[in-house]
Amino acid sequence: MIFEQLSGNLLQGVVLGGVYGMATMGLSLIFGVLKVVNVGHGAFIMVGAYVALILFQTLGIAPPLAVPVALILGMALGMLFYYTSIKKLLKGPELASLLATFSIGVILEEVCKQLFTSEARGYHWDLDKLDLGFTVLPYSKLIAFGGSILVGLLLYLWFHKTRAGMAMRSVVEDDEGARVCGINVDWEYALSFSIGIGLTVVSGVLLTMFIPVGINPYMGGGYTLKAFVIAVLGGLASPYGAFFGGLVFGLIENGSYTLFAQIPGLEPFAMTRFFSFVMLLVILLIRPTGLLRGK
Amino acid sequence: MRQLQKFSPILPVILAYGVLLGIGLAYPGKWQLIAQLAFYCALGQAFNLFMGMTGYVDFGYVAFVGVGTYGMAVSIYYLYDKGLGLGLVLIGLVLAAVFSTGLSLAVGAVALRLRGAYFAIATIGVNEGFRYLVEGARIWNGADGMIFSRHLRKAVGRETAMALSTQWADIVVFGVAVLAAVLTLVYMRNKVGYALTALREDEDAAKVMGINVTKYKIIAFITSAVLAGLLGASAWALKLTYVYPEDVFQIHYTVEAIIIVLLGGAGTLLGPIVGALIYGFSKYFLAIVLPGFQLLIFAPVIIVIIVLFPEGTVGIFKKKIRGTALEKFII
Repeated sequence: MIFEQLSGNLLQGVVLGGVYGMATMGLSLIFGVLKVVNVGHGAFIMVGAYVALILFQTLGIAPPLAVPVALILGMALGMLFYYTSIKKLLKGPELASLLATFSIGVILEEVCKQLFTSEARGYHWDLDKLDLGFTVLPYSKLIAFGGSILVGLLLYLWFHKTRAGMAMRSVVEDDEGARVCGINVDWEYALSFSIGIGLTVVSGVLLTMFIPVGINPYMGGGYTLKAFVIAVLGGLASPYGAFFGGLVFGLIENGSYTLFAQIPGLEPFAMTRFFSFVMLLVILLIRPTGLLRGK
Repeated sequence: MRQLQKFSPILPVILAYGVLLGIGLAYPGKWQLIAQLAFYCALGQAFNLFMGMTGYVDFGYVAFVGVGTYGMAVSIYYLYDKGLGLGLVLIGLVLAAVFSTGLSLAVGAVALRLRGAYFAIATIGVNEGFRYLVEGARIWNGADGMIFSRHLRKAVGRETAMALSTQWADIVVFGVAVLAAVLTLVYMRNKVGYALTALREDEDAAKVMGINVTKYKIIAFITSAVLAGLLGASAWALKLTYVYPEDVFQIHYTVEAIIIVLLGGAGTLLGPIVGALIYGFSKYFLAIVLPGFQLLIFAPVIIVIIVLFPEGTVGIFKKKIRGTALEKFII
């Protein structure tokens, strides 16, 4: 009984984990290229969730079709914040960019609170379910999972097969060297920040398939924390590491939920979130450069 | 005499708090506003003690305020029938200090080994993490919180309980504010401050010079945490006589502390007071003119300050008065 439940939950964990991984790629991309930690990461996921919600509720647009809208909106927001604040803080102390991204997160939350009130909302995209016997997977979740893998794949192809992507990788390796080779490093910074934010907003759209009623302006905080756990699991500066970190995290999260639920007197949902925080501290203690990365 | 002169910058601080307290006592109608301002001063000063001196941002700072509220709550809720009278409040403050020390040691043990971005990542979830521990393991009633106004009334009587909540809680806040300022100045004027300044400017160089940076970071981190715990015990628990994990671990206070310190000037003694007054008054009037918009207005202000005036109000003022007699009193 417990094993059936566990294997079902673990499969759900992989599906959710793939989306988590995609939701962390933007964070890792931005850290990899700019060495800036986007402390307001979760707020951009929240923006994506609202994009999906609003498009679905007012125009009846299915969430997968909201993805391009989210990408464009996210990239535009990325450019806006990059040129108004981040760009000026790259040379300064780390404190400055941390406080700036944190404030950007607060701004987004407050704007959304004014626009949509702080009431928790949700929508229901009615699709069929896939019954596997030991667990039931709605097709909407599978689509989100597939979408995440597709996005990850496209990012990989873009990085390895296009000149623009290779230019960005060269900046990650050595920005001085890239500059010498005639790459416009400042533009690469702006572009990667913008792509990073775009990916994050898109992930917000995909994540709504897993949260039936939890869309609210302050939902981002929890995702910031999860994204950090995932990012340090996979090595903070590597988007692919982040993807695999996401899968591992999804497994651990759902696995520990099942186990906590067996212990009487515990609230499994809250304990799972506590556990992810403890995991963050432990990973940072043992291996801050990431567990999944080789030497 | 020269020894004493080192501490002359405390005078403007005492003056500021004295004037605030005086206004509050003279105009009881404005006591709430004054209490709020004193709270912001104390919060800013406590936050600045770590962030201003080390240049590290602790995004989970509110967790220390939160465990502090539980210190007071646990004391009153579980010990009210032991006939301790006002000793309950004292035990509450001690427990708040103990809890925040414990949490800061646990967090510091991991986070203080890390630098910059990694430090921020390690601390950002502390408040959420602790909140979910309280809720998940149903510690101290879990998500249901603790309501202890009845317990407080039974322990000390209706009149005293009333006075504790409406006035004495705020007086304690003033006390914490003064304590925070004195500690900041003492640290600035001895080895701790010098070591932290060296570390803030260049951590590697400081280490090479043989400074035990971890030790001094821990000292500042724990001090700052204990002050936050005392604030939680007084300004929240004793004043409101209830504690819900959902409320006390909200990230709001961290945001406010950052705004206050940046407005005034990080790493200065007077900065948090100036920042708290600017922020407190603006918030008070904004609440009348544009309710609900305070954070929306102040978050962009943080960015403007970091981009354009990273020294803050007091930092700029300090530059202006260099070489004048005032210099001795403003740091």
